Amino acid sequence: MKLLRGFLWLLGFQLLGHAVVELLSLPVSHAMAGLLLLLGWLLAKRRLNESVATASQALIPLLAMLIMPGVVGVFFVIDEFAGHWTAIMVALGVGTFLSVLTTLWLMRRFMPREAANADERERQP
Amino acid sequence: MSELHASLIDTPILAVALTLAAYLGGIHLFERMGRPSWCPAVLIGAVLTAASLWLLRYDYADYQRNVTWLTLLLGPATVALAVPLYQQRQHIFALWKPILCCLPLAAALAALYAVLIAWLLGAPPDVLASLAPKSVTAPLAMGIIEQIGGSLSLMLGGLLITGVLTTIFVSLLARLLKIDDKRLLGFALGVNGHAIGIVRAFELGPTAGAFASLGMSLTGIFTALFLPLVWRLFGL
Repeated sequence: MKLLRGFLWLLGFQLLGHAVVELLSLPVSHAMAGLLLLLGWLLAKRRLNESVATASQALIPLLAMLIMPGVVGVFFVIDEFAGHWTAIMVALGVGTFLSVLTTLWLMRRFMPREAANADERERQP
Repeated sequence: MSELHASLIDTPILAVALTLAAYLGGIHLFERMGRPSWCPAVLIGAVLTAASLWLLRYDYADYQRNVTWLTLLLGPATVALAVPLYQQRQHIFALWKPILCCLPLAAALAALYAVLIAWLLGAPPDVLASLAPKSVTAPLAMGIIEQIGGSLSLMLGGLLITGVLTTIFVSLLARLLKIDDKRLLGFALGVNGHAIGIVRAFELGPTAGAFASLGMSLTGIFTALFLPLVWRLFGL
């Protein structure tokens, strides 16, 4: 019953997200708004409802399976995007290389050194 | 015989059963191949699904319509992502300063580089829209696609390729730049490579895994909030 109760909570927050998005005509998806509302509610309550935890543990591992039918579509749009595949592949390849490089550089610049790093600790007063 | 075929094609049960079978088969093959990081289990499952659709003379549009009975769960499963994020709040509170400096810029650039390169190479707006959420975790990226347009399938394909390339480039650049801080590597894997990056990060250890999940969630939320807004501003 815990699972069902938690599932109902998740559906409730998705519906709430739906209502908020439609009422304020926000440019986010209903589920995304539901995620943020649930997160806000958890942060405000400072306690994780056991049934919500159970339902999320059951659903999150299914995400990969749930997106698979969409991935299947790639094989059916190969012709539709004929002529753009070079641009797509270069954009993905070079774009990902540059963004990984930038992230690593930014993090190294701003992240405080790890306390556990012994040789660093000696150098720092 | 052809009547039976038609009625089987028409029932959502076949589409759901096919999807579950292909997914489980994909996981099985993935394990048998020794969990290769260049070929995620979802991709194998998708190939198996496509092959069965072709064998059964099952139209992709019909399949898509019938499998909605299953993929409806994507909504509540996305809402459920709030729970791990809530559980990571200590990390966020402890490191809010570096996160605030890096994350928005890193997430924005992850989208911008790809869109800019594709635009320079003359890709049309629907391709650009499909590439923009390439570093966002799939359920949130699907919400973004609803907002900015683009092809769902192309976006998901790009997502998979981005995830795989991220694991390769992070290992390569970590060696070249001599970075061995697990928090950094995990964060870079999560920000750029979403769920596929997280899997790789957990191979590096639990700290890298936690930072990868954090990076993925924050990138997803940041991009889902701002990308549709920016898209609207530029009138794309």
